[in-house]
Amino acid sequence: MHGEWAAKHLQVIRTLMERSALYRQALAPIMLRLGFLGLAAGGLGYASGWDDPRAFIGLWIATATVAFGWTLGMVRRQALKDEEPFWSPPARRVVQALLPPLAAGMFFAFLLLAKHSWNPLAVWGLTCGWMVLYGCAMNAAGFFMPRGMKLFGWLFIGAGCATLLALTCPERLPLLRWGHLVMGGVFGGLHLTYGVYLRWTETNLDAV
Amino acid sequence: MDRNQPGCCVDPEPFLQLDRVIHERGRMAIMSLLAASPELSFTELRDLLKMTDGNLSVHIRTLQESGYLAVTKSFHGHRPLTTCALTPAGQTAFARYLKLLEQIVRQTRPEKT
Repeated sequence: MHGEWAAKHLQVIRTLMERSALYRQALAPIMLRLGFLGLAAGGLGYASGWDDPRAFIGLWIATATVAFGWTLGMVRRQALKDEEPFWSPPARRVVQALLPPLAAGMFFAFLLLAKHSWNPLAVWGLTCGWMVLYGCAMNAAGFFMPRGMKLFGWLFIGAGCATLLALTCPERLPLLRWGHLVMGGVFGGLHLTYGVYLRWTETNLDAV
Repeated sequence: MDRNQPGCCVDPEPFLQLDRVIHERGRMAIMSLLAASPELSFTELRDLLKMTDGNLSVHIRTLQESGYLAVTKSFHGHRPLTTCALTPAGQTAFARYLKLLEQIVRQTRPEKT
């Protein structure tokens, strides 16, 4: 009798501690949608043949803006649905962790735009920088998020470094058009994979 | 009597040792949230636990009087901000409370042979 009651108490405590420490709202749907968005943006950029650095940076800033708005909307909806505060302590910590690398990524992009630096190498460098910085942001947020978010961050960092390494190999720099495919593949593909993993494990957890 | 039967030969000691201050539902919830977070504001606690201001104040005062909670009052902009955090004594007491609960759960589970 006491055992059941104590186990129940421990479960309540665990849930409350997770609610206070870990951010877990709408992660799977966010990842899935961002995955599709990334793939769509990559496909659009490649199919349109946008080789111009301004178009390249513009497309991906626009994609990031849409992704940001979409994420906010989904988190807000989920918070309302669960009758939980939108700006919860874990949400605040996640945003604080995400902000510095994401702000740095945006700064580099606007710096290139402002300096009219249309050197494709700089834009390719920016692409790698975005991946690495985004990975750092995810890794930092992973300290307040469950289930593999830190590894997810490391995958972006790895992808960024690998792209940079690949750029040093060929004698001729690839066309920026291919950059859309790389961005779409890395951002879209990784988000989609992580979203599927989250959805799949959530379904399995529910079934237990 | 089968010693492996749940409920057989239960030592009541851990149950008796449970800290009555923490054991109350509302206070246990406050302690749980603060154990996983360095500090939380009064408003955050209230929103997370869906408690009324009065109810939360009473629980916070009880925990504060027991030395488990430190309450800091400051200003955020022009608005007063009350922040709560566990004291080292509170952290120890909460850890001990959890340990006792685990002990109770272990006791009542049949031993694996």
